[in-house]
Amino acid sequence: MTKINSIYIIDDDAITLFGIKKLLGKIVTCDNIYEFKNGKVAIKTLLHQIELGKEVPDVIFLDINMPIMDGWEFLNEFLKLPIDKKIKINIITSSIDPCDKRRWMEYKAITEHHLDFKNKPIFSIGIEDIIKVRVAS
Amino acid sequence: MKTNTLTTHGFVIKQLPTATAFIDTNFKLIYASYKWIEYFNLEYHSSLSKHLFEIFTDADKEWQECLEKCFKGNTEQGLQSTKNTAGKEKWFEWSNVPWYDDEENIIGAIIQTDDVTHRIASELKLDKLENLLKDQSEISKVGTWEYNLITEQVTWSEMTKKIHGVAKDFKPNLESALNFYKRGHSRNTAAMLVHNGIDKGESWNIKSQIITPRGKEKWVVSAGKPLYKDGKVTRLIGTFQDISTQVEAEIKTEESAQLLRTLIDNLPLNVYIKDAESRKVLVNQSECDYLGVTNPKELIGKTDADLYGEEIATISRDEDLHVMNSKKSIIAKRTVNIKKDGKSTSFLTSKLPWLDIHGQSQGIIGISLDITELIQKEDQLRDLINVTAIQNKKLINFAHIVSHNLRSHTANFSMLLDFLINEKVAEEKTRIMDMLSHASVNLMDTLENLNEVVDISTNVNLEKKPIGLNEQITKVEQSLSAFLHKNKVKLTNHIPDDITVKAVPAYIESIVLNLMTNAVKYKHPDRDPRIILSARKLEDNTILFSIQDNGVGIDLNKYGKKLFGMYKTFHNNSDARGIGLYLVKNQIEAMGGNIVATSEVDKGSTFSVYFNDKD
Repeated sequence: MTKINSIYIIDDDAITLFGIKKLLGKIVTCDNIYEFKNGKVAIKTLLHQIELGKEVPDVIFLDINMPIMDGWEFLNEFLKLPIDKKIKINIITSSIDPCDKRRWMEYKAITEHHLDFKNKPIFSIGIEDIIKVRVAS
Repeated sequence: MKTNTLTTHGFVIKQLPTATAFIDTNFKLIYASYKWIEYFNLEYHSSLSKHLFEIFTDADKEWQECLEKCFKGNTEQGLQSTKNTAGKEKWFEWSNVPWYDDEENIIGAIIQTDDVTHRIASELKLDKLENLLKDQSEISKVGTWEYNLITEQVTWSEMTKKIHGVAKDFKPNLESALNFYKRGHSRNTAAMLVHNGIDKGESWNIKSQIITPRGKEKWVVSAGKPLYKDGKVTRLIGTFQDISTQVEAEIKTEESAQLLRTLIDNLPLNVYIKDAESRKVLVNQSECDYLGVTNPKELIGKTDADLYGEEIATISRDEDLHVMNSKKSIIAKRTVNIKKDGKSTSFLTSKLPWLDIHGQSQGIIGISLDITELIQKEDQLRDLINVTAIQNKKLINFAHIVSHNLRSHTANFSMLLDFLINEKVAEEKTRIMDMLSHASVNLMDTLENLNEVVDISTNVNLEKKPIGLNEQITKVEQSLSAFLHKNKVKLTNHIPDDITVKAVPAYIESIVLNLMTNAVKYKHPDRDPRIILSARKLEDNTILFSIQDNGVGIDLNKYGKKLFGMYKTFHNNSDARGIGLYLVKNQIEAMGGNIVATSEVDKGSTFSVYFNDKD
């Protein structure tokens, strides 16, 4: 089992949260899985962690449609944060709107982080979703 | 003795007051009166004893023959023209008589001459005048006539006969003359006028119709006047003129004018002609109708300044001047005329230069098509397109919401079912089953919400009724009393009791309920909720209803655009469904109203609802 230090799941849907956690449990061991109901609380926590010099997550699962601060707004704020680590971010959404896919491509192009896009439903999470697969680099 | 006698004779003859000359049978001039000498501008002494035809070298043979006849005892008279030594032509009338001696022997001829140059000239002039008159009569087709009451004779001039279509030798009488007039009005009038002329001494001048023997109808002007002798009418004289050509031309012109008038009066266009000063000189029926007059004469001579406001009149005058100066037409220009009563009409106006025969502008010809209704329809159509566009946008938005929401539920179902199939642990299976049933309830809720939205969007024509706003507030207050009490809400109502709104009853209830519930739901954690209700009537009869709270507020810079969106929530509140404001906005818009929000974070929010008074 791969050992991961810290994982954030940002999603307002309880069932998705349950699903992601269940699927993660099959491939990794992680003591610090955090759940956030929307982008705003996640950003608040991240800021706090950075201020305290504590560890930022290795992997983030991010929903798009959320109240208060949605996935894109979260990404906007997130990319401004002073994080050196290359983080794996999985966008998990039920949206099949081509607009959302386009925005993902845009964000992907401007960030050093590993940005992935998946449509719900998700039936499995592979190791490639957890570990940076940028083999070439 | 003979010589003596002769000398004595000569002395007497010299002094005769008439131009007289004596010649012998050899044509030798024996005696002559000074008058005669003077007459021919001769020299007295050198002329005597000269041959007559030596003196008058240009005398013709006729004279000589006359004189020869005289020598045989005949008396001859004649007219002769000659040129005197000054070269001036003179006419003289001569009479030659034989000159007898004591024994009744003819010894020569006595020539008496009268200067008739002046008379001849007058006669020539008269001839000329007559010819001129004849020519004039020929040209103007004016003939003369005369009726002598005493002889009952009717005399027609050549032209009069020509007009009547009869030969030169035609002899008219009063009856036949009158019978030329067309039976009916013309003949009756002519007969009556002749009668009045004789009886009452009245003159006349009428236009009537005659029919020639060949059956040709002619228009004539016949004039007549009585002539008196000893205070009695003895003759009627008058003129007779053929005016058929003029009348026919007149009739044709009149017919053309009538045709044109009929045409322009029945056009569904306003037609008007203005002179160089932009005064109306012709208007058609449509223009009269538009300007509210029955008789076109009421508009003739008027300018736009008399009919419209100053601004409109100035624009119109500028257009007129432009057309007249450039001689170029303005074609189908959209204009708006506002009459003095304030009524506005839209026109498609064309203005063409009105040119005289020399090609100079003498005014403009205007043609305007009233397109007010057309524009209204166009506006309605544009409104309809706008509404449709908005509806379409809403529909697409709705479709996205539906697909997204349904998709998120079905995605959950798929995932959970997949887990369930592969799950071995019974406890975990039960948990998944619980989740599935929870997801199913969520899906039902979502579908119900969507159904509510569809209901509003499809029932746009639900009937609006006047509803007392305060009655509605009280109703909602009662149904929420427990909730309000539990949250320690302080409610202040400033709405006057007489305020009524035109609304769909079910919608107004939902609107008030949602807004009041929201005001409490998003209360500030540090203070008890306070709600202030107010309403007033605006100038355009719109009712403005406001609900103000002291809750947490919303950052409108961030969320303003999404505030009324579906499934958008802005607070960490577990019972925020994200559908309330979406429904409220849809219901208000379905009633033709509007809702706006103002808010300050940590201070509170105000929602303002505008109800219009249209049915």
